[in-house]
Amino acid sequence: MFVAIEDVCFSYTDAKTRALDNFTLKIEKGEVISILGRSGSGKSTVLRLLAGLEKPEKGRLIIQDEVLFDDKIFLQPEKRGIGMVFQDYALFPHLTVAENILFGLFRMKKAAKKKRLQEVLELVELQDFGKRYPHQLSGGQQQRVAIARAVAPNPHLILLDEPFSNLDAELQGKIREELRDILKKANITSIFVTHDEKDAHILADRIVKLKNGRIEFVGRPCDMLDTYRQTGVQPSTDGFVEKSLTGVN
Amino acid sequence: MKKFLFLVIALTALILAACGGQAKEEKTESETATETNESKEVNLYTARHYDVDDELYSKFEEETGIKVNVIKGEADELLERIKREGDATEADLFLTADAGRLYRAKADDLLQPVSSDLLDEQVPANFQDTDQMWYGLTKRARVILYNKETVQPDELSTYEALTEEKWNGRVLIRSSENVYNQSLLASFIEIDGEEKAKEWAAGMVNNFARDPEGGDRDQAKAIAAGIGDVAIMNTYYFGQMLNSEDQEEVKVAEGLGIFFPNQDTTGTHVNVSGAGVVKASKNKDNAIKLLEFLSAPEAQETFASANYEYPVNENVEPSELLQSWGEFKEQDIPLSTLGEHNAKSILIFNEVGWK
Amino acid sequence: MQHRFTNINAWTVSAVIIIFLLFLPNLTIVTGLFTPSNENWEHMKKFVLWGFVKNSLILTAATAFFTILIGLSLAWLIAQYDFPMRHFLKWALILPLSIPPFIGAYTYHGMLSYTGVIQTTLRENFGMAVNSAYFDIMNLPGAIFIYTMFLFPYVYSIAQVYLSRQSASLIESTRILGKGPWKTFFQVVLPISRISIIAGASLVVLEVLNDYGVVKYYGVQTFTTAIFQSWFGLGDIESSIKLAASLMGFVILILMIEKLLRGRRQYSYSTTKVRPLPLIKLSGWKAAAAAGYGLFILSLAFFIPVAQLIDWTLLTFGTIPMGAFMNYVRNSVFVAGLSATLIIAFALIVGNFARMVRGRLGKLLPRLTVLGYSIPGAVIAVAVVTAFIGLDRFLAPFYVWAGFSTTLVLSVSIVLLVTAYIIRFFAIGYNSIETGYDKIGTDFRDASRTLGLGVTKTFFKVDMPMMKGAIISGFILVFIDVLKEIPLTLILRPFNFDTLSTKAFQYASDEKIMEASQASLLIIGISALAIVFFYKFLERELD
Ligand SMILES: Nc1ncnc2c1ncn2[C@@H]1O[C@H](COP(=O)(O)OP(=O)(O)O)[C@@H](O)[C@H]1O
Ligand SMILES: [Fe+2]
Ligand SMILES: [Mg+2]
Repeated sequence: MFVAIEDVCFSYTDAKTRALDNFTLKIEKGEVISILGRSGSGKSTVLRLLAGLEKPEKGRLIIQDEVLFDDKIFLQPEKRGIGMVFQDYALFPHLTVAENILFGLFRMKKAAKKKRLQEVLELVELQDFGKRYPHQLSGGQQQRVAIARAVAPNPHLILLDEPFSNLDAELQGKIREELRDILKKANITSIFVTHDEKDAHILADRIVKLKNGRIEFVGRPCDMLDTYRQTGVQPSTDGFVEKSLTGVN
Repeated sequence: MKKFLFLVIALTALILAACGGQAKEEKTESETATETNESKEVNLYTARHYDVDDELYSKFEEETGIKVNVIKGEADELLERIKREGDATEADLFLTADAGRLYRAKADDLLQPVSSDLLDEQVPANFQDTDQMWYGLTKRARVILYNKETVQPDELSTYEALTEEKWNGRVLIRSSENVYNQSLLASFIEIDGEEKAKEWAAGMVNNFARDPEGGDRDQAKAIAAGIGDVAIMNTYYFGQMLNSEDQEEVKVAEGLGIFFPNQDTTGTHVNVSGAGVVKASKNKDNAIKLLEFLSAPEAQETFASANYEYPVNENVEPSELLQSWGEFKEQDIPLSTLGEHNAKSILIFNEVGWK
Repeated sequence: MQHRFTNINAWTVSAVIIIFLLFLPNLTIVTGLFTPSNENWEHMKKFVLWGFVKNSLILTAATAFFTILIGLSLAWLIAQYDFPMRHFLKWALILPLSIPPFIGAYTYHGMLSYTGVIQTTLRENFGMAVNSAYFDIMNLPGAIFIYTMFLFPYVYSIAQVYLSRQSASLIESTRILGKGPWKTFFQVVLPISRISIIAGASLVVLEVLNDYGVVKYYGVQTFTTAIFQSWFGLGDIESSIKLAASLMGFVILILMIEKLLRGRRQYSYSTTKVRPLPLIKLSGWKAAAAAGYGLFILSLAFFIPVAQLIDWTLLTFGTIPMGAFMNYVRNSVFVAGLSATLIIAFALIVGNFARMVRGRLGKLLPRLTVLGYSIPGAVIAVAVVTAFIGLDRFLAPFYVWAGFSTTLVLSVSIVLLVTAYIIRFFAIGYNSIETGYDKIGTDFRDASRTLGLGVTKTFFKVDMPMMKGAIISGFILVFIDVLKEIPLTLILRPFNFDTLSTKAFQYASDEKIMEASQASLLIIGISALAIVFFYKFLERELD
């Protein structure tokens, strides 16, 4: 098993209810997982816990046989080798695109840095944009920079928090495809969060559905469709699921 | 991590020890300051801050080779600082413009007696502390200023007379927050007793032309503006206004007459600027030298006339302007009583509603 | 303990030490609350205390009201509309901060008094026998006027930056819904600016509570009057500490209300793009009215008093010794610069700590350091002296060992003064820095950490550069405040150490306001330069 998340519980300091309750998930290398759920269901919290930005009450996280946290150990985010793409991208406004991407490569030699920068810029097809500042880019370009920045240091795992929420509908479709290509090309294990089933169905190898901090469903997108059929609940977007599924497979 | 833990503990310990230590040592006996006669410095805490003072200090330095280090501040705060600094204080001489504060310095055990023939010769006995803890250097009177057009001098007689029906709505004086008024009332407490003093204060409040506001000069301006007809002020403010750079102020002052009250009774209220050697002084000899210098005829002339004050040294004539106001009878009370009754006077002011 | 905790703990430990040290002198005041009352206290309670409290309440409430009214309306005009002189007014409206309120008070009284320029002109050029009482500014309304004029920029500057950064859509949508500008102002602008108003107004309130110069001169008796009366007048330090402690309690209450009103709301912008509000162009009488209003306030709060000071300077030029003025300037700039640097450094540490810890205590703890801003300077001074003398006693053996000739080293040095400034003005710097941290939010920090940088490296590579504006504005506000400061400087300065403000005060306290004008003008000039520099810098940043 590449990533093992076991029994993670967490509540925010001044909140009454648990934001996450006994979250357990195992992920294979190269797998793309989607966490689906309404807003407030705890999706971002999962990512923040994995990244080390919050401290869990209990539970365990193991990646490639290294314990990142358990009862005794808590590895700081900068030691984890987990990349993250934030909902608002969080591109450093005072740095250029190139500087943003190089930000996480401080351990590399100069030549290696340069090479890696070129690689990821190519990956996200932004070769000519290195000298621009984030505010000089469109929303879609910003998002690709954010992905490039997260991918650049070669993380074991990359986390994406609602990567499409800031984009208009047309762009969403295009970027979704791009993201899938990028992730598959780089063969990175990834977890991305969305509240939109469309995204999950197109992108994910497996879907985790969250409700009020608890896992409601884990499985392949087609399995999820089955549950709908069994329970008679229709997916929110009519007729869309069939189409997109055929599109992907 | 260990390092930081250690740092926290060390700092906490240090601070606790410091606080504790201070509380304890407040009471320990004062070390007799070991005199180093070599010292070429004297440290002065002063509440008097005229530019001419600095010139005198430079002159002293020139004549004696003793450097005068100065902290200028407000009297109460400086006193509090000396008190807190305790035995370790750097202050040698405390100089202030009110006898009440000098009394308080003495009462708080911050001063030491000094005896010097020269000082006795230069400063008359009634302007010295009875225990020679401090010496007056300049004096001023708190007098009545009146509108020359609406008031005849023969209508005026005493401070007490200002509480009469005749002056209703015509009397101007500053707020009771000011120490000059506190000392004035303290002098009445000493002379007439508390009851009488309170009656006077209440009578004054009753006759106020307006709620007290501003400084002494503002009372003079209020006369010119027709708000009131008589004001109680320190003599030197009148002198300053007559010599102001601002012609409007000069005009105001020229419309005023000066009256020294209580000439036939208890005398006009006077107060002094003065100084005392700090108990824990490390440069006592130099401090005495500075006192002697400031009360000597040469310095007295500048020291007093710079602020239109009267010199305490009887061998020095007051400035021409002050001479033109004539001689006057002063209150005959020990100046330290101004300090003794200070708190009482504040309580009275509060009670009678003198803002 | 594991090595990997080091980063966080280094910040936590330094922050806690700073908070502790800043709070320590205040502790001596807090303990005063619990001493039994004596007869002076009873006397004050009986005769004067209520009147003082009433005056203080009216003074702070009215000043808060008027500073918000003026500050916010100007901020709104500048943020939303385009009109002649807008560009100039935008930064010039901060200038009144450069005038120490006590100098403003003396100047206004000087102008309005019987011998002042206004009455004299009326009398002599127009032969009008005006009733002097109409021009009397030395009363409660006068004090409110002075504080409003010289403190409103606190509200203006914070609200203006905040409103300019507000998402345009919020305000635009109100307009599309058919609301006029007045309705927009009261129904949208006012509520959304709540946070910035509270931040600005609480600075104003604290400043009014601790000031003594203006109310003393104007004969308005306030709570501060009571503190000084019982301390110096009655020699009753217990009562005065008790009063100071009550004042602190009141301030803590204000702070809690502020926190409550601010609520949990996060107002950070983590999106890279903040769409600026497009300006609405005013024309005709509306443009004239907007420019006129701004210029009117600016004249009252800056040009008129400065013109008067210049006039007085010319009148008295050469009558006072000027030789040492370069020295005063140097001293002033040195202590102000040093204190501002240290305050900002400490505020950055404490602010970063407050951001890292979760939970109420962590947020509240740094707020305690704000207390120093509420207490009259003289009270802080004595608290600091007491603490330092204790420290010197403790270090005495070390001094002897090191060969110092005296056992008071820290207590008579510039360290004492700078420490007192830090305690007093930390709130000003911290306010700016905290707003800066709030504004950048935590996403950038988190992003940096997932990219492999620790807290400290992140701080230097991400937080600091992104907060340049907040750092510089905090620095300048503190710098100006120290430049103007009076009671602490007066009491705690080392021997032979004069600054511009002690010099100005020295003359003013002897009722020689004209002679005080030179030093006052220099204070104003240096502060104004700092403000101009700040705005030039901000503009370059925004391009
Ligand atoms: N910093 C925080 N403090 C307190 N509660 C929070 C915080 N962040 C999120 N929560 C709460 O935790 C729950 C889960 O939040 P989150 O993981 O952000 O949801 P999602 O990303 O699924 O929209 C929500 O109820 C939210 O209100
Ligand atoms: Fe005086
Ligand atoms: Mg979320």
